[in-house]
Amino acid sequence: MADQGAADPGNNNNKPEASEGTIIKVTVKTPKDKEEIAIAEDASVTQFKEEISRRFKAKQDQLVLIFAGKILKDGDSLSQHGIKDGLTVHLVIKTAHKASDGGSTSASSSSSSTQAGSASTSTPGTNPSSTAGSTGSAPPPTQTPNILTGFGDLAGLAGLGMGSANFMELQQQMQRQLMSNPEMLSQIMENPLVQNMMSNPDLMRQMIMANPQMQQLMERNPEISHMLNNPELMRQTMELARNPAMMQEMMRNQDRALSNLESIPGGYNALRRMYTDIQEPMFSAAREQFGSNPFSALGGGSDSGAQPSRTENREPLPNPWGPPNSSNPTESGGTTGSTSTTGGTNPTVSNPLGINPGSLGNGMFNSPGMQSLMQQISENPQLMQNMLSAPYMRNMMQSLAQNPELASQVLMNNPLFAGNPQLQEQFRAQLPIFLQQMQNPEALSVMTNPRAMQALMQIQQGLQTLQTEAPGLMPSLMSGGVPGIPTGGGMPTENPASSPSSAGTSTAQQQLMQQMLQMFAGGGGGGSATSQTPEVRFQSQLDQLNAMGFINREANLQALIATGGDINAAIERLLGSQPS
Amino acid sequence: MRIECVKVPRNFRLLEELEEGQKGVGDGTVSWGLEDDEDMTLTRWRGVILGPPRTSYENRMYNLKVECGPGYPESPPFVRFVTKINLNGVHNSNGVVDMRAVSALAKWQNSYSIRMVLLELRRLMTCKENMKLPQPPEGQIYTN
Repeated sequence: MADQGAADPGNNNNKPEASEGTIIKVTVKTPKDKEEIAIAEDASVTQFKEEISRRFKAKQDQLVLIFAGKILKDGDSLSQHGIKDGLTVHLVIKTAHKASDGGSTSASSSSSSTQAGSASTSTPGTNPSSTAGSTGSAPPPTQTPNILTGFGDLAGLAGLGMGSANFMELQQQMQRQLMSNPEMLSQIMENPLVQNMMSNPDLMRQMIMANPQMQQLMERNPEISHMLNNPELMRQTMELARNPAMMQEMMRNQDRALSNLESIPGGYNALRRMYTDIQEPMFSAAREQFGSNPFSALGGGSDSGAQPSRTENREPLPNPWGPPNSSNPTESGGTTGSTSTTGGTNPTVSNPLGINPGSLGNGMFNSPGMQSLMQQISENPQLMQNMLSAPYMRNMMQSLAQNPELASQVLMNNPLFAGNPQLQEQFRAQLPIFLQQMQNPEALSVMTNPRAMQALMQIQQGLQTLQTEAPGLMPSLMSGGVPGIPTGGGMPTENPASSPSSAGTSTAQQQLMQQMLQMFAGGGGGGSATSQTPEVRFQSQLDQLNAMGFINREANLQALIATGGDINAAIERLLGSQPS
Repeated sequence: MRIECVKVPRNFRLLEELEEGQKGVGDGTVSWGLEDDEDMTLTRWRGVILGPPRTSYENRMYNLKVECGPGYPESPPFVRFVTKINLNGVHNSNGVVDMRAVSALAKWQNSYSIRMVLLELRRLMTCKENMKLPQPPEGQIYTN
């Protein structure tokens, strides 16, 4: 025990707070750090904290001292707690953010967590994920509802405690990256934090509805909003999204249901009708002749206004099997189905619809039947939209994609294909990819965009004309590309060559086609006249605008598009358009 | 003489633990000490657990009361939370820790200590089933 009045040996300078008591050395320990602090024995906790705040460079009110299992209150004295020389006091420095740490969720750091894909955050590589599993606390339901499910073309991350102006932008980046990287999506899904969030259906619904794209989608297709409002379905969907294994299970169930459907008497017809839209264009492409206009059925089909699986109004269709194998065209199926042709190209990322450039030159798609089909489509966008965006269409597609055997089996049973094993083979090969494409949201959005479809038709016609007028012109067009073609081409019918004599120029045509396809593939949802989405091109400008405080991303984008990327001009536009 | 035959007297053990608590043995995530310095029976103890990061207990400090009965260390101490907490094994109404839920307490050995108990409780907070549990607002305590 130190003697009273005996000064600390070797410690001559007076501690400001030391009155006459002895100076004791107390170790102050944080989880990361340890410091020895000399303080008067009879000092108060407040004085002790002053010293500590100096040493640890923290504010006094952030300090919490613990000794021997008790928290030291400011009004106490050290001796009250029995703090003596050589003993250790624990220090906790409170950060400003307690609990639901916003800091760690700064979206840009991709959380290293774990897995892929569930709706949560995924961490592969560089993608910013806002809910990097590092956040321990479950997010309160009211926090930034920015999670997008795989519901249509939306995917994103929920931001916890973000609230910054940049978050929207970040989210959109996330969305884009997520769409292009399914692995990441799955990683996101598996993060337990996100799973937690997803298990709250109200929260999910809020988040989904808050997304403007979703709202648009819902406007176009009220069925989706019905789906959202059906809690059971939501829960199930979320469950599915969360659990890839369960999703597969569901798919398998659906497949089984489909095959069951096939076996019941009326069901087979239903199934057949369901698949006609896939087969038809194939067939018509193969046949190249359409006696009577088989597309008249299109008009009849339009009032079904819904999935092909609904068997409502397919009865009045003219006998499509008059001329053998003349297909019964259905709209959307027609266009998308025509991707696979006798050429049998394997679709790649850049070639989303698997269009085989070589085979496109064979004029299959240029038949009058296809033309009228195209016209029907552009005139009747609603039908396409309904077809494509309805949820169970999607499900069907998914199940088909998952189970190509089933699909092909059903198809093969169809008398349409019965006489043509070759076509069956092709179709079987193409089917899974084709179905994947159907799910490609970009392709879908293009197909539902009537103007894009019309434009594509125009392209097709123009190219056709060119081909006939100046066959030698095609190769020279290659290098220049075909500028100004609206992107987002889901149109399989953009065949440049009408004539079957593609022998000489086939290579050129193929290359041209490839280019065009790449342009289409590279473009975002339709309408922009550049080969990249304006968002991508103007990314850095958008960033700058955001940093300057222009947080309205849509307006920024518009301004940038209008000014062609000139930031200053864009700012002036933005300022000019804002009421002051 | 075999070691296990030697039974350290209770008070010796507790004094040792007291000293350890005061010296801050360990990583600083838990702290313990006598509730009352004059308590000659060394029965009533206080503990503090710092909530582990990346859990819903993060950034919080939990006060506990530990009571080492006369049978200590052969028999386990009674532990109860003072600060309200939502943790499996802790009664919601009064913060009493259920022995059987905490594996350390369930299979108590005389070599275990108060420190171990606190560390074990802290470890429990990091378990999957606990780490995301929603917590009551900070600063609330059990009143009984």
